[in-house]
Amino acid sequence: MSLASLSKRAAMLYRHRTLKTPHGPLETPVLFPVRNIGKRSSDNTPEYADSIPDLRTAMVNTRAIRQRGPQWDRLLEGATIREEMGVPSKTILYADSGGFDYRSKEVDTTPKQVLETQRQLDADIYGTLDRPLSPENRAVENQQRIEESTTYALQASDAHEGEALLFASVHGHDPKTIRNTLRYLERKGDFDGYALGSLVPIRTDYKKVTKLILSARRVTDKHLHVYGLGGIVYQPLLLYLGVDSFDSSAFIRSAGNRNYLVPGFGGTELHSIEELEHLPCSCPVCCSRPLSTIRKDRNLLTQHNLWSLVTELRRFRYMVAGDYDIEAYLDLRFEHNEVTQRAYQMAKQQVRRFT
Amino acid sequence: MTDNGFTITDEQRDYSQFNLEENPFPYSPVPKNDPEIYCGQEHAAKRISDTVSTMLSTGKSKHLVVTAKYGNGKSHTLKYTRSLVRDRDDVLVGYVAQPGEGFRDIYHEFLYDLGFDRVQQLAYEYLAHITSDITDWHPSRPDEMCELIDEGELLLSEIIPTAIQRLNTVTQFADFSRAIVHMVYEDTNLYAWQWLTAEGIRYEQRKEMEIHSALDDDTTSVRAFTALKNILLELGYTGVFVFVDEFESIARLSPKDEQATLNSIRHLMDQNSHGLCLLFACAPEVWQDVMSEYHAFSERIGQEVALRPLTDEHLTDLVASYLDTARVDGTGGIAPFEEECLQWVHQRSQGNVRQVLSLCSRLLDVAADRQQTRVGRELGETMISD
Ligand SMILES: [Zn+2]
Repeated sequence: MSLASLSKRAAMLYRHRTLKTPHGPLETPVLFPVRNIGKRSSDNTPEYADSIPDLRTAMVNTRAIRQRGPQWDRLLEGATIREEMGVPSKTILYADSGGFDYRSKEVDTTPKQVLETQRQLDADIYGTLDRPLSPENRAVENQQRIEESTTYALQASDAHEGEALLFASVHGHDPKTIRNTLRYLERKGDFDGYALGSLVPIRTDYKKVTKLILSARRVTDKHLHVYGLGGIVYQPLLLYLGVDSFDSSAFIRSAGNRNYLVPGFGGTELHSIEELEHLPCSCPVCCSRPLSTIRKDRNLLTQHNLWSLVTELRRFRYMVAGDYDIEAYLDLRFEHNEVTQRAYQMAKQQVRRFT
Repeated sequence: MTDNGFTITDEQRDYSQFNLEENPFPYSPVPKNDPEIYCGQEHAAKRISDTVSTMLSTGKSKHLVVTAKYGNGKSHTLKYTRSLVRDRDDVLVGYVAQPGEGFRDIYHEFLYDLGFDRVQQLAYEYLAHITSDITDWHPSRPDEMCELIDEGELLLSEIIPTAIQRLNTVTQFADFSRAIVHMVYEDTNLYAWQWLTAEGIRYEQRKEMEIHSALDDDTTSVRAFTALKNILLELGYTGVFVFVDEFESIARLSPKDEQATLNSIRHLMDQNSHGLCLLFACAPEVWQDVMSEYHAFSERIGQEVALRPLTDEHLTDLVASYLDTARVDGTGGIAPFEEECLQWVHQRSQGNVRQVLSLCSRLLDVAADRQQTRVGRELGETMISD
């Protein structure tokens, strides 16, 4: 029995949309690769904007750029961030607030200042100033952070003008809080979308993460971004749950650990593979180079890893466009990992109830 | 179907020749949950009313023990009293069918009788209380509060820190406060409920709610009960009623456990000089023993009222009241029973309510089967000799 003969529209929340941004239309769902511009060169994101045509997107950290003296001065003097990054001028930029740094630090800026910087960066999407939660914090402390982030978002909403899109950052470790916060923001503010944060520290709790994402999806029809979970394993799950965009630095971090990402397999440490001459991927990095070359070159590995993330997304889109049974596809995808399989089975039940 | 003397049928007996819709007497000796009839026992009614009313009017705690021999209406009395106070919205009422192994069981049963929904409502009521203080919203009912949260009219994370902080002051029991707050979160409310009912939960579940202690013995159960009552008083309730039935079963416990149970109840009474009304039903001989052996306990309860066997006159009233509930023509009285028949019932039952009801029920059925229109004394005598 071929996959095509199983063809049927599955109950799923996956959706295809076009987001209008100042730098042009953006087809969603989409990945925003995290760009560590200006940091240590080894952390730098490889060139991809020209070689991967459907990846004209990037996620940048507003706080980090603002704090980098010389670069910030160049920007003030008229250089563009896209030039600094060496990406085409049409690249669509999502600037998050850099709130991740405020997990342990005091907030040293204001929603208005963050907005100013984002405007200065000519970003297309602004993420509101926020204070992510930590599972280690006392509940009361986290509640205060949720309230703080919510207040910041509303202040940003008041101060925001212009063409760029404003995504409110939303935090919470239980569905009720997510729903409540989203509805509150929907009622009091004016946002083009929402971005769910604080999921990275609890990412291994797939069941919880799935529930939280679904509770957000349930409440709003607007664009839904999930911060930090766009890695190779989470991606198909996020697509299935109707997430419109996600960001990831997994391709860089994995390369740092000599981890070779393959859709459907996750990561494999290259040093554990000896006898092969060529790797199984047909991306421009792997198709012609021997394993030994790729193993040595972290930059190549990073580039391949990014191709893997993109391939994952392309494949999902292809399955949908070809009217394949997505649930059967995902059953296969998660078959080998008990934890993600359980998470997917639960997601499936919830999605069916939901649709 | 007739087979070897058995006759099983779903055909209903016809009581129309008595001008009755049905046999109004209970078949089962278990008292109804919401009794409508209370007869005789004027002295008990007065003492109970006085105890209950004192708490309602002054807010001061008052307790009472109702004693009676088996079948003389203790449970009925407790349940009847409960039905009188249960619908008031300024009190919380819980019924405990049996004291179990100790105070932890009493507490557990009490919470179970309140039920998950009621306790969750209390949590919302408390959030509403905080909301009125710190926002411009003034939700007055739990469902209003729930809606404000669900609709995103107000921010939950703005309310919760204040709620937890204030609850801690009110309950003096931080874990209890957190469990109450967790009753509103669908992810954790079942764990919170399990903890609150002293059922015990796994360490990880407790950790998720930041609850540090286990609620699993008499001492913490007394603390938890007091915490709950304090929340109620803070919310403007007058108090809590606890009805403990079959208290005599504590006599089955080991002397050590019995003493521990009585001590816990004593602590409970000592910690709650306001807003608590305990009503116990107990067999007289067990109560006598408690009185003589545990002075610290009996001094605090002190009050006892004994139910008496029915007099002829009470019996007539009782039978008439039951008949009234099924009467079609509105005539009243004891028909189809004849006076002599009820006298016979009285002798035979020695005024024991349970036996009276049981005899009347059977008499009426036998009369219906024989298609008689009157129930006389001779019917009772034949029925017994059969
Ligand atoms: Zn490759």
